[in-house]
Amino acid sequence: MADEEEDPTFEEENEEIGGCEEGGQGKRKRLFSKELRCMMYGFGDDQNPYTESVDILEDLVIDFITEMTHKVMSIGRQGRVQVEDIVFLIRKDPRKFARVKDLLTMNKELKRARKAFDEANYGS
Amino acid sequence: MDDARESPTDKGGETGESDETVAAPGDPGATDTDGIPKETDGDADVDLKEAAVEEGKLKSKKLKIDTKEKNEKQQKVDEDEIQKMQILVSSFSEEQLNRYEMYHCSAFPKAAIKRLIQSITGTSVSQNVVTAMSGISKVFVREVVEAALDVCEKWGEMPPLQPKHMREAVRRLKPKGQIPNLKQTKKSSSSRPKSRKAYY
Repeated sequence: MADEEEDPTFEEENEEIGGCEEGGQGKRKRLFSKELRCMMYGFGDDQNPYTESVDILEDLVIDFITEMTHKVMSIGRQGRVQVEDIVFLIRKDPRKFARVKDLLTMNKELKRARKAFDEANYGS
Repeated sequence: MDDARESPTDKGGETGESDETVAAPGDPGATDTDGIPKETDGDADVDLKEAAVEEGKLKSKKLKIDTKEKNEKQQKVDEDEIQKMQILVSSFSEEQLNRYEMYHCSAFPKAAIKRLIQSITGTSVSQNVVTAMSGISKVFVREVVEAALDVCEKWGEMPPLQPKHMREAVRRLKPKGQIPNLKQTKKSSSSRPKSRKAYY
């Protein structure tokens, strides 16, 4: 597309993210291909998304997780990854923040319910 | 009592305000225009303290009632929303139902995420961390896919999404700080004179 020729930043990203020939980040094995396809379909893409698009997304996700992990390691308790630090980092992004809060709350409730259920079974 | 509602915006009239705040329920007429009861100094102090306590109690009661009302309102809103969702889902076509199911059920494999995080930290991480990270990553994917779909529509094209849509979406989300920029931190900015073009 004309975009790719005019914009050097774009080119940079093109080489690094998309990687036409080499297929993204070197020879890394694809970790999430199946799951990402389902996800993309769920979020509005076609039932059969293009493999190249899936690859681009996978690289983005891995970069995202990598950067988050590095950031988390540098705050709070150094060298450790803890949930509170993740929540702190995410606080500016409303969607992600809300999602993390929901997940953690649900987890807690599930644990509580499971524990109560087990204890009830144990007692009888 | 109206003081909790009106006082924040009306800080100008000092005498008027202190009149209301100091006037506790059992004490309507004991204040003069200064808002301080006409008594000796020692008693005035005690009375002021009592009045402050009263005011505190009133305010916390007000807060409780307010919060309770808010909670009830929120519950009603939630119920409404649940009902609306039920109506919506019941009218889905098969393809839409399929997509909705994928939307809910798709998730990153916990084992792979855990392995990835642990390969970066070098130590083990708890389950909670893996859950949180998977959840956030899914939101991230959603943001990128939605942006790419917008781009696709804007360019008058149809799904399936192509790499050019994805890259344009990433380009649009970068200024909002929603895209990780590992590469940029690795490279020093001196290599490409035009590498900051996106900011102009």
